[in-house]
Amino acid sequence: MIKQKKKGLYLSDRPPLTPLKTILLAISYILLFAYVFVILWPLAQIVLSSFNGSQSQYIRIGGTYQFSFKHFKFLFEEKPFLKWVINTIVIAVATALLTLLFVSFTGYAYSRYRFKGRKASLMAIMLIQTIPTFVGIAAFYTLHSIISAAIPGFSRQMFLVLIYAGGGIASNTFILKGYIDSISTELDDAARIDGCGNFQVYRLIIMPIVRPMLAIIALWSFIGPFLDYMLPSIILGDPEQYTLATGLYTLINDSRNMHQPAFAAGGLLTALPIVILFIALQKQLVSGLASGAVKG
Amino acid sequence: MKIQLNNIGKKYEGRENFTIRNIDLEIDDKDFCVILGPSGCGKSTLLRMIAGLTSITEGDLFFGGKRMNSVEPKDRDIAMVFQSYALYPHMTVYENMAFSLKMRKERKSVIHERVLEAAELLQITEYLYSKPSEISGGQRQRVALGRAIVRKADVFLMDEPLSNLDAKLREHMRVELVRLHQSLETTSIYVTHDQTEAMTMATKIVLLDQGKIQQVGSPTLFYEKPANLFVAGFIGSPTMNIFRGKIKHGHFLSSEEDFVIEPKAKDRELLKPFEGKKVAMGIRSERFIAGKADKNAINVKVDVIEMLGKEQLLYCQFPNGKECVISEPGYFEYAVNEEHNFHLDIEGLHFFDEETTERIN
Amino acid sequence: MRYGTTIVDDIGNEHPRRNLSLALKGEIEKRQKAEPNKDVARIKSEFESLTKSANDYDKSLADVRREEKAFLAKAPERKIGFEKTVTDRDAKIRKWCFEAMESAARAEFYGQHIELSYDYELLARQHRMIAEQLPDIASVRRKTLNELEEVTAELERAKQEDQSQAKAEFQQYRQDRLDQRKEEKANLKKLYKEGQISSKAFENEKRQRDLAASEDIRAKKQLLPVEMLSDRKRYLKHRLRHDEKQAITVLHSDIADLRRKTPIEISKRFPWVSYLTISVPGLGQLMLGQSVKSIFFFIGTLYAYLIAIPYALGRGNYRGQGIFGLISLAKGGSRLDRSDIFMIEGVIAIILLVIAFLIFYQSFRDVHKNEKRMIKGIRINNWFETRTVAKRSGFPYFASAPSALVTLFIVLLPIAVTVLISFTNYDPKHQSKFSWIGLANYKQIFLGEGIAGKPFWLITGWTVIWTLFATSLAIFIGFVLALLVNQDRIYGKRFFRTIYLLPWAVPAFITIMFFSIMFSPDGPLTNLLHQLTGQIINIKDSPWGTRIVLILLQGWLGSSYVFLLCTGILQSIPKDLYEAANIDGATGFQQTRHITIPILLFQTAPLMIGQYTFNFNNFSIIYLFNGGGPFEPSKYGNTAGSSDLLISYIYKLTIQKQFQGIGAAITMIVSLVLIFITWIGFSRSKSFREEKL
Ligand SMILES: Nc1ncnc2c1ncn2[C@@H]1O[C@H](COP(=O)(O)OP(=O)(O)OP(=O)(O)O)[C@@H](O)[C@H]1O
Ligand SMILES: [Mg+2]
Repeated sequence: MIKQKKKGLYLSDRPPLTPLKTILLAISYILLFAYVFVILWPLAQIVLSSFNGSQSQYIRIGGTYQFSFKHFKFLFEEKPFLKWVINTIVIAVATALLTLLFVSFTGYAYSRYRFKGRKASLMAIMLIQTIPTFVGIAAFYTLHSIISAAIPGFSRQMFLVLIYAGGGIASNTFILKGYIDSISTELDDAARIDGCGNFQVYRLIIMPIVRPMLAIIALWSFIGPFLDYMLPSIILGDPEQYTLATGLYTLINDSRNMHQPAFAAGGLLTALPIVILFIALQKQLVSGLASGAVKG
Repeated sequence: MKIQLNNIGKKYEGRENFTIRNIDLEIDDKDFCVILGPSGCGKSTLLRMIAGLTSITEGDLFFGGKRMNSVEPKDRDIAMVFQSYALYPHMTVYENMAFSLKMRKERKSVIHERVLEAAELLQITEYLYSKPSEISGGQRQRVALGRAIVRKADVFLMDEPLSNLDAKLREHMRVELVRLHQSLETTSIYVTHDQTEAMTMATKIVLLDQGKIQQVGSPTLFYEKPANLFVAGFIGSPTMNIFRGKIKHGHFLSSEEDFVIEPKAKDRELLKPFEGKKVAMGIRSERFIAGKADKNAINVKVDVIEMLGKEQLLYCQFPNGKECVISEPGYFEYAVNEEHNFHLDIEGLHFFDEETTERIN
Repeated sequence: MRYGTTIVDDIGNEHPRRNLSLALKGEIEKRQKAEPNKDVARIKSEFESLTKSANDYDKSLADVRREEKAFLAKAPERKIGFEKTVTDRDAKIRKWCFEAMESAARAEFYGQHIELSYDYELLARQHRMIAEQLPDIASVRRKTLNELEEVTAELERAKQEDQSQAKAEFQQYRQDRLDQRKEEKANLKKLYKEGQISSKAFENEKRQRDLAASEDIRAKKQLLPVEMLSDRKRYLKHRLRHDEKQAITVLHSDIADLRRKTPIEISKRFPWVSYLTISVPGLGQLMLGQSVKSIFFFIGTLYAYLIAIPYALGRGNYRGQGIFGLISLAKGGSRLDRSDIFMIEGVIAIILLVIAFLIFYQSFRDVHKNEKRMIKGIRINNWFETRTVAKRSGFPYFASAPSALVTLFIVLLPIAVTVLISFTNYDPKHQSKFSWIGLANYKQIFLGEGIAGKPFWLITGWTVIWTLFATSLAIFIGFVLALLVNQDRIYGKRFFRTIYLLPWAVPAFITIMFFSIMFSPDGPLTNLLHQLTGQIINIKDSPWGTRIVLILLQGWLGSSYVFLLCTGILQSIPKDLYEAANIDGATGFQQTRHITIPILLFQTAPLMIGQYTFNFNNFSIIYLFNGGGPFEPSKYGNTAGSSDLLISYIYKLTIQKQFQGIGAAITMIVSLVLIFITWIGFSRSKSFREEKL
C-alpha cells in the first residue's frame, strides 16, 4: 500500500532533484565523508596505540597489535598521573568558582547601577581584555615569591588560579553584563517591592535567570586549565604540582623519560570526559561562543 | 488607606529640570484613582515615587497620615502590577504569588491559604504549578494581579497593566479589575494613557501633562467640565470641537466672524469680564442638534461620514474650511457633500480663556 | 565666602537668618559690596540699631545656653521620676519609654527658644517627633511580646497534650492526597498511551501534579496544632525584630528629612578645616561631627601611615627598597638583592601610594564639600544618612572592589613590570642585577641587531604568514564544511556535526603532541610518507616542511570552531529569505553566494578577527609540535627555530634563555599591535556600537 503511494505521489516538501543536483549532492557526501576520515584517523590512532601492548617507548603503526592495559598501568603506577588529574581538577574547580564569584558581583553591578566611574572603568575593562595574559610572564615568578612572603601559605597553584580567574574577570564581566542587561528592570522593581534588598535581588531573581550564562562562564573557566600549557609550565616548578598538559608533555619531550604510548593513554583519559562534555553541551557552548564567551 | 501627596516633585539626576513638580493630590480610602496623561508626562515617575522605587526630590508623601518618603518599598505595604507583568520566570505561578509573603517570613499555612484564595478569585487555580512561560498573556496578567492580591496590601499600584493585551481581552480585564476593586476595596492607583480605561474604571481621574496636574475629579466631571483646553482636547472621543473667537456684547463671535453664539444667561454672567477678549468655545459632537434655528445655528458641508451603527460621526466643513465633528443618531440619513443646518445646544457649551487656557464657565 | 543675609537649606529654600550678629555681618558685607569705597566704620555706624539688637541677641543666646546646660544636667533626675511611671519589664520598652519622656521634656524646653536659633528649632521638632513615635513603637513591641508569650505557653500546652489523633488525621489526609495523585498520574499515563497528549505535556503535567500534591500536604501539615503554633511563634519573633527595625528607620529618616529642611548657621566663612586636616583623613570628619564616618577614614589614615608610606620608603618590603628600588634596581646590593624584586616592589609601592593618595583626596573632598555646604546653611549628613547613602550608592563599589584588587595586582601589576623591564638590560649576564638602558632594546629589535634582535624580523615575517594562512585555512575549511553539512538534502547532520566537533573538543595539546609523535623520525606518518614517495622525508628537520604541516594542522584544529559558529548562524537565517530568493528565480548557487555567504561573513567577522589574534599567539601548537624547530643557527642564532612565532620566541627568550629585557620589549610591541587589532575588531562589532555604555 504505502509503496504504491510512494510511486505515484511526490511526498517530499522539497522540489524534485535534477541530475546535476544529484551529482553535486554525491560530491558533497564524498567530501563530507573524506573529512570525517581526516578527523577520525588520527584520533583513532591515539585510541589504538594507547591499548597496543606491543609497543614500548615509541608508537608504531602497523606491525603486531596486542591489546593490553599496560600503558595505563604505567601511567598510574610509574607516573604521578592521578596527581596531575587531581591538580588539574582542583585548579579548574577553584578557577571556575572564583570566576563566578568575581563576575557575579561585577556583572550585576555594571548592569544595574549607575555610579561614578562606571563608564571609565567599562572602557578600561574592554581595553584590559584585549591584553593577552602572557604579557606578564616575566613578572609572574618573582611576583609569586613576593606575595608568598607577605601571605604565607600562598601556593603556586593558588597563584595560577588567581591568574586564570583574574585574567577572565574583564571579558566575563562584559559578557554577563550584556546578558543581565537583557533582563527587564521591572523584575528588579517587583522584587524590591516584594521585599528584596540589593543582594537578594541578585541571589533570588537575577542569578537563577542568568544561570545558563553563568554555567557557560563556569564551564569555560573550568576547561581553561585543562588546555593551557604555557602558564603552568612557567609557574609550577615541581612535577608533583603539574597539571595534565605539563605532566603529559614530560612523557614525550626528552628521550630518557620518553613513553609515547603512555602519553596516548593519558591523552585518551584526559580527552574522553572533555569530549563528552563538549558533545553533551554543544548548544550551550556554541551560544557562548557566539556571544564572545571565549577569547580564542 | 488614604494617600496624600504634598507638593511632590522629582528631578532626575543628570536632568536640568524637574520632571514633575508641585503635585498636590489626595486619594481617599477605597478610591480607584487613575493617573492619565500623554506619553512621557511623568505618570510612571509619579507612580514609582509612590512605590518608593524612585526617590522623592521634594515634598511629602503620606499613607494614612504616616510620612513615607524614605520608607523602603517593601515596608510601604504596597503591591504593584507592572506593564510587562514582571513575573519571575524561574518560579512557578504558585511561587510567584507566594514570593512576597515568603520574603516577609509569613506563616506557611497563611501563605498557602492566601495563594489558593487569590488563585480561585482570578480563576488560575489550574495553572498554579506552571511556569509563567507556559501560560498565555491574559493568564500572566492574572498572575500579576494575584501576586498583588496575596499581599493584602494597603495600596495597589498599576502601571499600564493592560497595554500588552489585545483589545478584546483588555475590555474584559477592565471589567474584571473594576469588579476586583469593588470586592477588595483596596485603594488603587492606576496609570494609563488610554482615556477609555480612565473613564470606565476610575472613581477619580488625575490628568497629568508636562509634569503638572491639569485636573482632578470624577470621570463625569472631566467630561462635563474640563478644567482647561488641554483636558477638553484630551478627554472624549471624538475630540471636543474647539472654536476660537472673542466675546462681543456678551455673545461669542468666531474668529472668522462666520457665526455668533448666544450663551445661556449663567455663562453670560461669567463671560462678562472677557468682553472683547479672546476666548475659545468648545462643544462635544453630540451637542449639535440637527435642523434649522434662528439662533446659534451653523451651516456646514458633510465631508466624511463614519457609521458606527447606533450613531454616526459627520466630519464637516464650514465654508471657510474650518472643521468640526458632529454625531447624530445612526438612522438619520446624510450623504457626503450635502450641506446641512445644525444648531448648538447652549447647555453643552464650554468656554475657555485663550490666554490662560483655563475654563471660564 | 560671604555671610549673605539669608541661608539656604538642602532643598534649595531660602531662610532668613536668626542669628542676628551674623545677620548684621551679612548686612555690612552687603553694603561694602555695594559701595566698596566707603569707610568700614561709617558703614557700621549706619547699622546702629541692628548692632544693638545683635548684642542683645548674643546675650540672650548665652543665657539660653546656660539654661540649656542646667536643663540637660537634670536629665538623670528626670529619669528617676519617669522610672516610677513605667511598669513594663522589657528592657527595650523601658528604654524607649524613658527616651520618649525625656524627649518630650526637651521638645518643650527647646520649643521656647525656636526663634533664637535653627538649632533649637531642629532639636525641638526632632524631640517632638521622638516623643510621638517611640511610644507607638514600644506599644507595638509590647503587644507582640504579649502575643508571643501566649503562643509560647499554648505551644507548651499543645506539646504536652496527646497529638496522636491530629497526626492520624494528617496521615490519613496525606495518604488520600497521595492516592489521588496516583490516580491522576494513572489517568495521564492513559491519555499519553492513547496518544492524546505529547510526551512533553505528559512530563509537564506529572511534574505539576507532584508539586500540587506536595504543596497541599505541606499546607495540611502546617495545620497540625504544634506545627501551626511553632510557625506562628517563628513569625512573631520575626515581626518583633523586623517591625521595630523598620519603625526606627522611619523615625531616623523623618529626622533626616527635618535636617534637610532646617538650615544651620555658622560663623565660619572659610573651609579651613579641610585644608588643615588634609594630611589626616578622618580628623576633618571628626571635627565636623561625623564621628562614625571618621572611623572609616581613620582606618585609611592608618593604612597610609602604617602600610603604604613605610612600604614606599622601603620598610616591610620582601627584599626591595620601596619606591627607591625602582631607581637603584638593587645596584650595589648584596648577592641576594635581585633587581627584578626591587622593581616589582617599587611598582607595588606606587600602587599602594596611589591608593593612599585616593583616600587622602576623597577625605579632603568630603570635608571640603561638607564645610562649604555648612557655610551655605546646609546641615551635613548624620551617621544614619551617611549609612543610607552608602548602602544605596555604595553597593556597586563594594561589589566590584575584590575584582578590582585582583585585576590590579594580578593583571595590571605584571603588565606594568613588563613595560619597565623592556627598558632594562635584563639578560643572562645581568640576571640578579640589571639597570636601566632606555630604548636600547627597542633599537636592537628594530634594527635587527644583537643576539636576540637578529631573528626578530625573520620571526615576525613567519608569524604574519602563519597567522594569515593557518587562520584562513581553518576558516575556509570550517566555512565549506558548514555550507555542505547544512544543505537541505544532507542526511545525518547530527552525525557530521558531532564528528566535526571533535578536533575542538579534544584538548589541543593532546592532538598536537600526538601529531608531533607521528611526524618524528621513525614516527608512523614519516614512515607512511616514506612508503608513499619512496624518499625519507623528515618533516621536523625541514623548515618549510614543518611550517606547512603546522598550517595544515591548525587548519584541522581550528576548523571545528568556525564550523560550529557558522552552523549556528546558518540555522538562524530565516527560511523565508530563501523562499523569497527562490521566487525571484535565484538558483541554489546564487542563493549561497548572495544570501548565505554575506550573512555568514557579516555575522562572524568580529569573531574571525579573534581567530587571527588567537593564532598570532598560538603558543601551544608551535612549542609542542616541534619546539619551534628545526633550528637554523646561521639564520636564527641559537634561541629561536625556524617555526617559532613571536610568542614562543618571547617564551624562549624570557623563560629559557633569560633575555627578559629584550623579551619584554618584544612583548610590548606584540601587545600593542594586538590591542590595536582587537580594538578594531571590537569597535566594528555590532554589540560595541549598540552598547549603551
Ligand atoms: N531614570 C531616568 N532618568 C532620567 N530621566 C528619566 C528617567 N526616567 C524617566 N525619565 C524622564 O522623565 C520623563 C517622564 O517619564 P515617565 O516614564 O514618567 O513617563 P510616562 O508618563 O510614564 O510615559 P509612558 O506613558 O510612555 O510610560 C520622560 O521625559 C523621561 O525621559
Ligand atoms: Mg510609563
